[in-house]
Amino acid sequence: MDSLDNTSWDVVITGTGLPQSLLALSLSRSGKQILHIDRNDYYGGDEAALSLSEAEQWVKKHGGDASENADSAYSHATISHSEAQEEGAKKLGFSRAYSLALTPHLIYARSNLLPAVVSSRTHSQLEFQAVGSWFTVTAPPDGSSSQSRLTRVPSGREDVFRDDSLDLRAKRSLMKFLRFVASYDEESEQQRMKQLKSLPLSVALKQHFGLSSATAVAPLLALALPTVSEAETTMEFAVPRIACHLRSIGMFGPGFSAVLPKWGGLAEIAQVACRACAVGGGVYVLGQGVKNATHAEDTGDSKLRLELTGGEKVLAEWLVGCPRDMPSTISTHNMSRAASAEYMTKSISIVSSPLTSLFPPTAEGGVIPAGAVVWVESASSSSRSVRILVHSSESGECPASQCVLYASLRGDPSYLDIAVQHLLESLAERPKPEVLWRMQYRHHAEAEQPRNTTTSENVVTLQPLSTDIVLEDDVLTSAEQAWRKIMGDGAAEFMKFESREGVDEDE
Amino acid sequence: MQSHGIPRVAATTLDKSEQARNKERKQITQYQALEKDVVDRAELDAQVKAKDYSDATFRLTSQLLTQNPEYYTIWNYRRLILQHVFARELAADEAPSEQDAAAADKAGLPPAQHEVLLLIKEDLQFLIPLLKQYPKCYWIWNHRSWLLGTATKHLPAHSAVTLWHAELGLVSKMLGLDSRNFHGWGYRREVVLAIERLSSNGDGEKESGSGNMVESEFAYTTKMIQSNLSNFSAWHYRSQLIPRLLSSRNADTKTRQEFLDAEFELITRALYTDPYDQSLWFYHQYLMATLSPANKQAEPVLEPCGRAEQARYLEREIGSVREMLEGAEDCKYIYQALLEYSGRYLEVEAEGEKVTLEEMRGWLRELRGIDPLREGRWRDLERKMGL
Repeated sequence: MDSLDNTSWDVVITGTGLPQSLLALSLSRSGKQILHIDRNDYYGGDEAALSLSEAEQWVKKHGGDASENADSAYSHATISHSEAQEEGAKKLGFSRAYSLALTPHLIYARSNLLPAVVSSRTHSQLEFQAVGSWFTVTAPPDGSSSQSRLTRVPSGREDVFRDDSLDLRAKRSLMKFLRFVASYDEESEQQRMKQLKSLPLSVALKQHFGLSSATAVAPLLALALPTVSEAETTMEFAVPRIACHLRSIGMFGPGFSAVLPKWGGLAEIAQVACRACAVGGGVYVLGQGVKNATHAEDTGDSKLRLELTGGEKVLAEWLVGCPRDMPSTISTHNMSRAASAEYMTKSISIVSSPLTSLFPPTAEGGVIPAGAVVWVESASSSSRSVRILVHSSESGECPASQCVLYASLRGDPSYLDIAVQHLLESLAERPKPEVLWRMQYRHHAEAEQPRNTTTSENVVTLQPLSTDIVLEDDVLTSAEQAWRKIMGDGAAEFMKFESREGVDEDE
Repeated sequence: MQSHGIPRVAATTLDKSEQARNKERKQITQYQALEKDVVDRAELDAQVKAKDYSDATFRLTSQLLTQNPEYYTIWNYRRLILQHVFARELAADEAPSEQDAAAADKAGLPPAQHEVLLLIKEDLQFLIPLLKQYPKCYWIWNHRSWLLGTATKHLPAHSAVTLWHAELGLVSKMLGLDSRNFHGWGYRREVVLAIERLSSNGDGEKESGSGNMVESEFAYTTKMIQSNLSNFSAWHYRSQLIPRLLSSRNADTKTRQEFLDAEFELITRALYTDPYDQSLWFYHQYLMATLSPANKQAEPVLEPCGRAEQARYLEREIGSVREMLEGAEDCKYIYQALLEYSGRYLEVEAEGEKVTLEEMRGWLRELRGIDPLREGRWRDLERKMGL
């Protein structure tokens, strides 16, 4: 194709992660000239899904420590090469049979992303699967795996009814708490919520709801999925999260509250969004980033002068991207990693068994889910717990008869692998499922920065995804803010498109 | 019209863009033209008595019904045509084609009946997408029922029962989509009855025969309740099955008591989980009603069932419900249940010490406070109970 040198664009978007791709989608019918680039040679950016060989290359690239990876969200990447793994590697499928998500997220049914996917007419290109059951794994007191126990989390009235581990009183108290959570933001409960909000969840449950047994508290913690320790998990944090779960159950079908996009999670959504923008005239180039940008003021005209990593010089009315993709001449992004002490240690493990006990049908006659959530309790209330997202082969991320475990833990990684072993042991499957392949890395949060900081009128910064595993509504609202800025007054409705000609209307 | 959250018509995209409105306008015109056509033909039929049961007319009914299955007259026309066709097939003298004969042989039916079966199956197929889109339309369920009834009338039992079994599968699926669709539950009872009748030897031995479905149906209600406690239809069906279930199990006195206790345990567990759900209280009331010989609606479960048993259960349940108050002081159903059962208890055991009038007055006071809109009703209750 022709060189990009000396071309002029309305919008240049750097990075094909989810935030940027959503913006591209929102602009796909605007008639604007869009150049969408990514410094990687794959789509998805920080949210990419990788085949085995792509993962190996990625690990090489991000293997160093934080300072070597200053412009990346990831560092300290490794692939395990234990003896067990050498054996296990023989059972792996071919590289492209895997689509491992770097940041798998839970998309609750209430998420604002889903209606946008529908109204922008991209939903027909996506397949969503149910994330069905939540589980807790209790850590044995002596640290040995053999005593680990797996318990299903009751996620609604009928589950509470059937749960034999709860006596009548506990059922009553738990239902009372769930009812409170379901209406915590309504006027009738606002006073009460105000009183309770800074209490730790476990304390509030004991003192105000009569729930102190571990059998009742652990499941609620699992639903809230905090990254901090039990003692630090407040009502203010936990209640809205549990409410989101409760309010999402049954929205798309009985018995489940969240979905996952098939074939690689958020990367799939990003790809579909980029495709839509391309159909609308957007130009896509991989392997290019923005090396340099000169402010409009310096050049006297209203556009930005951008230099790409390949040396091409382009003009742009708008430059949009996440902080790490922005050139230092424009962005106030703090390159020093010392400021950002927050990171999540994450691991991806391929397991030799389909772990079917984690994927019971969502309801009588309901769908078989492709995802499950496991909360592995920490040894004490002052240490952090591990969250594991389990994806079956139905998610398209691995071949049949295997599954993928995505574990995450804030900070120090030593408990991460132990937690995975606890889970595998607790399933009581014989022979015990083994980890065939494992990679681990750190995911760094953005250093604190106000949203959409622009040092220039024409530069718009998008909020990157958090390192958490729940997809927040912020991602879409950040894209909407950017879209509004670029479209100016008189813009039509955000993400509301008619279906293109020739596309079937009946649903 | 919506009922318990499920729209009457299954969700369709209600896109009201200009494009869609034009499409709708065209549909309305087409519909009106078709309607006129069929009515004309029917009028013609009546006048000239030249029964135009042609394929063309049949297809017209299909078109009309696909657009509006609520127009029951067209269903009647359809049935007239079908009846005519069935009668013609069954009376046919000419030999069937080799193909038809072979297919009929395979199905184990004489060719004429096989023809009828195929036609019925085709019509059942026609109904499926309509039923999915209009799950609460009386006429669709009715037509299905008629088709199955016709099959039962004209075909041997082994053929008809296969169709009925398929219906059981269909109704389970429909109830899976909307577990509180009363059409579905009513149809299910009809299907179960038909299967049992066709599977029995016809000599009334169905209670112990292999055709007895009461156990599996009872298990089905358990499943439905576990997936949705508020399913009043499932609880109701359960209560209807109990007398037959117990007699089919040849339950003796001890078994019956154990059964009743297990049912009370189940409903108590449900009530602790959600005392605010009225369907659960109705079932509790049903169980209590089986103890009362005066109640013709509820067949007794216990054997024997006299004053002593009644008093004992009343005592126990009043105690149990009283305990439920803790943590649910704002639940009016608990007070209502307490008052009702106390009233009955004092009738049965005038000297009983389990409940005092003072206590009952207290409950009534709470009820008045929780539900002031029904003041008139509470006043009546007060008078009736002499409080």
